[in-house]
Amino acid sequence: MFTRHVPQALDQEHRTSLALLDRLERALARGQDEELAALARPLLRQIDGEVARHFGFEEDRLFPHLVDAGDGGIAALLTQEHGDIRDLCAELQPLALALAEGALAPSQRPAFNRLALELVERMVSHIQKETMALLPLLEDLLDEPTDQALALAYAGA
Amino acid sequence: MFLAGAGGRLLPASVPFRWFGAAAVFHALAWLALAAGASQWADWNGGLGWPLAALHLVTLGTLVTSAIGASLQLLPVATRQPVRWPRLAALLWWLYLPGMVLLAAGMGWTRPAWMAAGAALLIAVLAVWGVLLALNLRGARGMPGVVLHGWGAVVSLLVLITTAAALVALWNGVPLAPRDGARALHGAAGVLGVMGLLVLGLSTILLPMFALAPVPEEGVQLRSGAAACAALLLMAAAAFLPAASEATLALRWAALLTAAGALALHVRAMRRLLADGMRSDLGRSGRLFHIGWASAALALVFAAIGLARAPGGDSAPWGALAVLAALGGWLLSSLFGVLQRILPFLASLHAARTAGRRPPTPSALTAEAPLRVHEVAHVAALLLLAVALVTRSPAWLLAATACGLAGALAFLGFFGVLLLRLRRVSRTHVTGP
Repeated sequence: MFTRHVPQALDQEHRTSLALLDRLERALARGQDEELAALARPLLRQIDGEVARHFGFEEDRLFPHLVDAGDGGIAALLTQEHGDIRDLCAELQPLALALAEGALAPSQRPAFNRLALELVERMVSHIQKETMALLPLLEDLLDEPTDQALALAYAGA
Repeated sequence: MFLAGAGGRLLPASVPFRWFGAAAVFHALAWLALAAGASQWADWNGGLGWPLAALHLVTLGTLVTSAIGASLQLLPVATRQPVRWPRLAALLWWLYLPGMVLLAAGMGWTRPAWMAAGAALLIAVLAVWGVLLALNLRGARGMPGVVLHGWGAVVSLLVLITTAAALVALWNGVPLAPRDGARALHGAAGVLGVMGLLVLGLSTILLPMFALAPVPEEGVQLRSGAAACAALLLMAAAAFLPAASEATLALRWAALLTAAGALALHVRAMRRLLADGMRSDLGRSGRLFHIGWASAALALVFAAIGLARAPGGDSAPWGALAVLAALGGWLLSSLFGVLQRILPFLASLHAARTAGRRPPTPSALTAEAPLRVHEVAHVAALLLLAVALVTRSPAWLLAATACGLAGALAFLGFFGVLLLRLRRVSRTHVTGP
């Protein structure tokens, strides 16, 4: 689908995220405690690592290219969504940690379910926008040397 | 590239939503008009009356009205064009609305003068819409498949407007064109031309977005679009010849086979897209798309049976079943499948402009229960209407209209809740709690 390294790397991470979100959504729909507890650690890794790293790279290294190319509108929209998802993750993280450690109080369970479902919806919608708009734009915008340099920087981040 | 610059290319919420709202209201009125025509139903042969009003409330009132709203907002985003003259888009609605009401009332109550006044307004609006579409397509960057479908729809719109004027003139005692030929052209240009081509073209933008899938290959889109346009040309050519001639029959068979080829290419590409998509389960929308594709195929089968059984003559009930499958099954199902996804999405984008941090998600703006009712009622209404067509029974027709109206009101409920929730978000964040 993509020939440049950077869109390929981001697309691969999107697929990994979607697989986890899909499992989380199904587990929430089934309401199975063991399944949800097993997903708590991968969810925390997703929040700690992928969300922070992936979003940070896009904002610091990629969006400036979009702004320079006159596509600042999509960069602003995606940056706003990053902020919304970060806020949401900040609320969800302590609950996911408690779930992973078996310490989530029954009274906290509805809040976890609500926030986790909201995360699924916001992430899926965000990935939709990036897949349909950001990645094709990067495919057009990045020349070979810039693509390689950015891909190396991302791999080392 | 669908959403590139989307934030800067959003029309004010009131512009697209007024078109979609009008479409939802006209959909309900269409079922009421059909119920009003229950007594004329069995003998109706395409003349003035409530069945004709109901037909136009579905085609012009629901399908074209939605297409105008969708194209005003979606096409500039898809083709990376600026939104042109948003105030004009709002003004057009104020002309379209009375035009539609006058046309439907004139048809229903058999008042050719009302109909002429309504048609004049509608033709003016559709001509301006055609110009807006053409300007957009002329400057489009990329998306050759969508652009081909778009140009086909623009040319069909021109034919639709011209034949509409000729038919209205005829009903007002001014014969400008032969009735049967004008009607055949009008129907083909409206159903397959304007609405069909827009549904086929816009699906190649929207479904990849919904399913997170790659856009179908350009070659497939172009072949499917070219086949649909060729089918239209064949249908148009057949409209100029005597109904019972050998040449007409050959042209109609060729049109049917070409349309079947176009549909097969399109559906194959869409099914592959769904299979490859990262979110391939589209839920209720996905079911409506599948109903739409199956109905489009059924429409071609019914048309073929009608042509085989009564070449050039009375093809009842097959001709009417083909129209029902095409309009109700294919176009309306596809439309509602798209609307119930795109309206909350659009509303959430508007909410993000005013809501600050954590604007509501599309699902938070969506009332699920009315959509569940709508889905069941829509399918039941179509099935009951098919039974009514076969049995020519007013009782079955009234049962169909009851179901259809329930579905239409449920969809209006979904739309009303969406607007109320969007308004609440805007108020809370603009004026403060």
